[in-house]
Amino acid sequence: DALLGCHRSYRSRPTHGIGKFKYLLPKEAPKKRKEKVQMKEISAGTEYQYGDVNIQMTSYDLCLVEHFAQYVHRLCNRLCIQVNESYAMPTKTNEVLFLEERGSKMQLDAVLTTHQRVIQIRGLSSTFAPILLEVIQSSQPEGVHLLVKQHTEADFKSRLKSRPELEELLAQMS
Amino acid sequence: LCSFSSCSSWLPQRVLLRGSHWQSSLLEFRTSLPVRAQPKKKKKVDVKKEQAQKDRMKKKIKKLEKAAPELIPIEDFITPLKYSESNRVRSLPTLSPEESERRVILLKKWCLFKQKQDEAEKKAIKALVESQQEALKELRLESEELYQAAIRRDEGLLPFERDGPSYTPPLPGYDPPEGKCIDITKVYTQ
Repeated sequence: DALLGCHRSYRSRPTHGIGKFKYLLPKEAPKKRKEKVQMKEISAGTEYQYGDVNIQMTSYDLCLVEHFAQYVHRLCNRLCIQVNESYAMPTKTNEVLFLEERGSKMQLDAVLTTHQRVIQIRGLSSTFAPILLEVIQSSQPEGVHLLVKQHTEADFKSRLKSRPELEELLAQMS
Repeated sequence: LCSFSSCSSWLPQRVLLRGSHWQSSLLEFRTSLPVRAQPKKKKKVDVKKEQAQKDRMKKKIKKLEKAAPELIPIEDFITPLKYSESNRVRSLPTLSPEESERRVILLKKWCLFKQKQDEAEKKAIKALVESQQEALKELRLESEELYQAAIRRDEGLLPFERDGPSYTPPLPGYDPPEGKCIDITKVYTQ
């Protein structure tokens, strides 16, 4: 009886929420949790559509390859092709040595850095693919090497740091 | 005779100990192992040790696997410190009005050129798509089977590779100097 009888009408009172103050403080940005680098699902594509396709542009010239990557990205946006990711692969540095004409010593010629940009697209229809390739080829600048291929797990793994200790332990286990 | 020669190289010590016929000594050697009790104990201890080792390794692997894999940092996006440390500031010379006028006119001409180029590209893409659609329509009217086969995706298209065009064609009979390339990329490990 007593339980049914009590009606605490404190919410209707004017003193409701009298102790609250958090709404007065400035809003704190939510804590950014470090997003784990996880591989997104690779779609295989249907019979009439290609799955995840990687357009890889490699060159010694950084600015050129950057601008070309930007151009290709904007082109895909304009043609309503879904762009999954647009990232850069780690740069490779090569030391070029050449043999002197008279002498057996190798002389340092240059230190070259190879830059690579990748644009990943999805849902490229089979009829439109050759047109896109034609357009990209026609605007390909000098010295930029173009490679268009399907996206694989190995491509994703090549972006990650190697873990020699883990690999050693796994090899010992098996 | 052949068994005698092979065994002599394998166990010279046994020859000295036994001294008798080869066949009997070999049999004894083979039958002696299960008779002794020591090897059994060794096996038990070994199994336990191996188990403990495996558990430790599994724990280590779990610990390492917990840490998420990291992406290799890209050196292109990291400005080297030597460019941010120095305080030297470049002071540009003031431009004369004719020069600034010339530059503005050049910029406008360039914008127009680029616009024309972009429009031509859009027109070309549109024309390509239209002609392709028309061709497919005609093919459909001709035969449904061929149309279906044409619509399918081409597996031979990818992977597609192409080198960029060069300013000049390659020189005939050019003899490049001998040399080699060494890869000095920094290897990052987690």
